[in-house]
Amino acid sequence: MMGTARSIVVALLLLLTTGCARDKPETPVSEPKVVATRPVAPRAPARPAAPAAPKVAGRGAAPVARAPVARTPAAAPSLDLKALTQRLRETKAIGIFTKITLKNQVDDLLDGFREYYQGQAKLAITDLRRSFDLLMMKVLSLLQDDDRMLASAIVSSREAIWGVLTDPKKFASLDV
Amino acid sequence: MNRLTVAFAHAVVVTAFCAVPSFAQDDAALKKDLTAVIALHGLPCGQVVAVKVQAENDYAVSCQDGNRYHVYMNAAGRVVVEKP
Repeated sequence: MMGTARSIVVALLLLLTTGCARDKPETPVSEPKVVATRPVAPRAPARPAAPAAPKVAGRGAAPVARAPVARTPAAAPSLDLKALTQRLRETKAIGIFTKITLKNQVDDLLDGFREYYQGQAKLAITDLRRSFDLLMMKVLSLLQDDDRMLASAIVSSREAIWGVLTDPKKFASLDV
Repeated sequence: MNRLTVAFAHAVVVTAFCAVPSFAQDDAALKKDLTAVIALHGLPCGQVVAVKVQAENDYAVSCQDGNRYHVYMNAAGRVVVEKP
């Protein structure tokens, strides 16, 4: 009986330490790590130290106050439409139903552009721009918490995408 | 108690403790997904509080604000949100 109880306790401990293999957020939050800046008092050298290559935060080295590197998310490079579509498909920040809904709305927008170029436009270009902006806002609001990198890439690509949509030749060559 | 029983007890305990959070996680993810879908359709909801799976890709959803929706994917592959 004691053996079973011990086994259960061991199992529970294992469970707690492994955390049941929960998912981590897709994009790690990039917080700058705080580097210990308190200088360590150098020990008195037993013998004169030979000139050596500068150590990085080594013990006994003159305390150099290293400013923590600010790791703010740099402006992500703009992506082409294909890469963007792929990234959106792969992201875990958006659920599958939400992705399908977004795709439906992207298709509606593209239909709007098709009609516009075919001269059967129900919408003016300003209306299309409004729809485009609204869709972008929706996508960004879905991504900004859980996939900041992709959100940032979309922001960077925004005008490039609009450029493709408003250029009849580029739009016609879109494989969508 | 023989070793086999002990091993079985281990397995049951581990499975139980891992499965419950996993179900809860799946449920929370589905609620979050459906909340986003309803919001994308511009309909009031607040947050999805209860989901009843009616069929594959077919859900009856209850919202925090009391609204209820039928969320499903139609034959054309469009996600539809409508009042039941």
